[in-house]
Amino acid sequence: MSVSVARPCAWGSHYTVEEDELIKPRLNKTVAAVTTSALLLMAVPVVGIASTAGAAPKPTFVIGYEGPLSGGNQQLGLNMVYAVQLAINNANATHKLPYVLKMAKFDDQGSSTLSPAQAQAAVANKQLIAIVGPAFSGATKAAEPYYRGAHVATVSPSATAAGLVAGFRNNNFMRVVAGDDVQGAADAKFLVNKKGASSVYVINDASFYGAGLAAVFAKSAKADGAKVTATTVPGTAQCQDGTASPSEYPAVATSIVAAKPAAIFYGGYYCDFGLLLGALNSAGYSGMIMSGDGSWSPSLISGTSPASAANNVYVSEAGGGNATLTGKLASGYTKLAGFSAKNATYAAQSYDATNVILAALAKVYQPRFKVKALRERIVLALHRISFRGVTGHISFQSNGDLSAKSIVDFGQVQNGNIVSIGHS
Amino acid sequence: MANLLHYFASHLATLRLEFWSLLVGGFATGVMYAMVAIGYTMVYGVLRLINFAHSEVFMSGGFASYFMMRALIGTSTPSGTWSVVLVIIGVLTGGVAGAAIAMLLERIAYRPLRRRNAPKLAYLISAIGASYFLYNLAGKEFGRINESMPSPYINHTVFTIFGAPVQLYYIVIFVVGVIMLITLDRLVATTKLGRSVRAAAQDAETASLMGVNIDRTIVLTFVIGGALAGAAGFLWGLGFTGVGFYMGFTPALKAFTAAVLGGIGNLRGAAIGGLLLGVVESFSVAFVPASYIDVIAFGILVLVLLFRPTGILGERLGRSA
Repeated sequence: MSVSVARPCAWGSHYTVEEDELIKPRLNKTVAAVTTSALLLMAVPVVGIASTAGAAPKPTFVIGYEGPLSGGNQQLGLNMVYAVQLAINNANATHKLPYVLKMAKFDDQGSSTLSPAQAQAAVANKQLIAIVGPAFSGATKAAEPYYRGAHVATVSPSATAAGLVAGFRNNNFMRVVAGDDVQGAADAKFLVNKKGASSVYVINDASFYGAGLAAVFAKSAKADGAKVTATTVPGTAQCQDGTASPSEYPAVATSIVAAKPAAIFYGGYYCDFGLLLGALNSAGYSGMIMSGDGSWSPSLISGTSPASAANNVYVSEAGGGNATLTGKLASGYTKLAGFSAKNATYAAQSYDATNVILAALAKVYQPRFKVKALRERIVLALHRISFRGVTGHISFQSNGDLSAKSIVDFGQVQNGNIVSIGHS
Repeated sequence: MANLLHYFASHLATLRLEFWSLLVGGFATGVMYAMVAIGYTMVYGVLRLINFAHSEVFMSGGFASYFMMRALIGTSTPSGTWSVVLVIIGVLTGGVAGAAIAMLLERIAYRPLRRRNAPKLAYLISAIGASYFLYNLAGKEFGRINESMPSPYINHTVFTIFGAPVQLYYIVIFVVGVIMLITLDRLVATTKLGRSVRAAAQDAETASLMGVNIDRTIVLTFVIGGALAGAAGFLWGLGFTGVGFYMGFTPALKAFTAAVLGGIGNLRGAAIGGLLLGVVESFSVAFVPASYIDVIAFGILVLVLLFRPTGILGERLGRSA
């Protein structure tokens, strides 16, 4: 990292103090050692001045994105990563920042077995100051210990599992969406009270996210007066790191149809949900079907055989009131992504998550801070931030959840598209 | 105790209600398992090795027929004779692609090892490597998502058995699968080609002294097994699962289980094992939550192997292919 010409000495000495302040074990260093390192550090900029002669180049900081960029559920990750890129491009384009921003991608395929390695790689990146993500709840749970250990703030646009904030001992995880306790309850109200489903067959995919959402839904639906049958249909190896074979789905679908529920609720992601919809269609199911934010994607329709089996399915998203990128942001997004921002679930949240990190960075940035110091200061700044994003007002509770009461959006598949049909 | 009885009573009621539906669905899956299991058992019969890249032979058949169907059908809705022709084209495309990949596998992953008299473990590693390579290549080239195959017909219920709807999709699987399995059985039992396969399985060295071309016979077993698996890939993709780079993993694992269940090395055993596994899986759903289906399926496998360590029909090494 280089600095302005005017104050090499000040930088040298201040730098040492900063580092000691933050790394407690080093507090015991002797005065002599401090002096030596200060002298050594002072020497470095002097050499730098000679070679660069004046205008110091801006430092580069990396915002990481961790989520599924390949695998069965990659569409959700792709939706997010282009929004992160858009926010970074827009920030760089102002030319007013004293630093250059870059993005690094960490592909965990949405899997909790792959995410720790990605988190370790992210933490090891010497320019990385914070993470947008991780995207999936199970992957987040597995990765957080590594981020926490390195004091890297993770602002997730989509990890909604209630268990991520309840009793979680770290302070570096935040999310710009409501938890599944909010979403599951709103979904139950929608299906039971608004659509009049007297009996609901609740299915989860055995993932951390799906099981959590389904449990909240089942509890709320019961409280709302519906008869609830709950079961687990594990996700398939074809879609995620699930254990089941898709060949089991027809039999599962047959037994669901035999139970004659008025509605089915699925807690899980679109890839397996699409397989189940195909099987339910073959088994002759004709009642209502609903799923959560993990299924709000056009890929649900293209991945369902036949595509018509996805018709009339309801989906929900714990956004902040119909949160999509609009206007110039939407066109910029489409240019980067090659697909429309409409129905790109979590694009708007990712845009906000990136910007809220950038706002925190702008607040705490001083040229004398190294990346390690910045990481910790960003975590602290995020807890105090008050920010107006495209999805609404963003500030965080101490557990990382949004302070604002969130609105849950509802959509329905109509003629091969997901159409917004109101909110809670 | 009363609770337990009640539990079984209520599930027996479910089973009675859905018996025929579950049986039809289970048979359909079973036929596809059987078609894949043949490849494992044939290669084992001749070479005494498990071709773990067989799952990718299945996947290649799925993808080849997917691209063929996409080119021929597009967004149209075929009907009548054209539907029948399309299904035949799909089976052939899948079969040819499967056979080609299986042949390539033999050439690249196995023959060099055979020439050097490598230990059996080396084949296993080579097979796993080939499998990783092929499915990752498919993921890279075709995308790591599921694609739904354009359907050559409109799926509908054709007739019912005791109230259970039998769909056109199931009929397609039955017809294609049964024709291919019977043809294979006759081929191996009655033709000269089949005799050379059986001879090579019995004693490769003696067979070669008797004028059987061993290399050619081994290639043939791979090609036949590959063609069946490729065709099964097409049938599998036609269903609700579509095609994807990872589509081979679980079906092939189940098919391998079926081959062992029926008695590995035994052609008819593989077919019976496949059907049985499909039906058992399907019936398990009436009794246990979906998360335990595999526990039942593999529990039965263990039971069968405890009492008949060589599988249901016995390991007929050397006599069948």
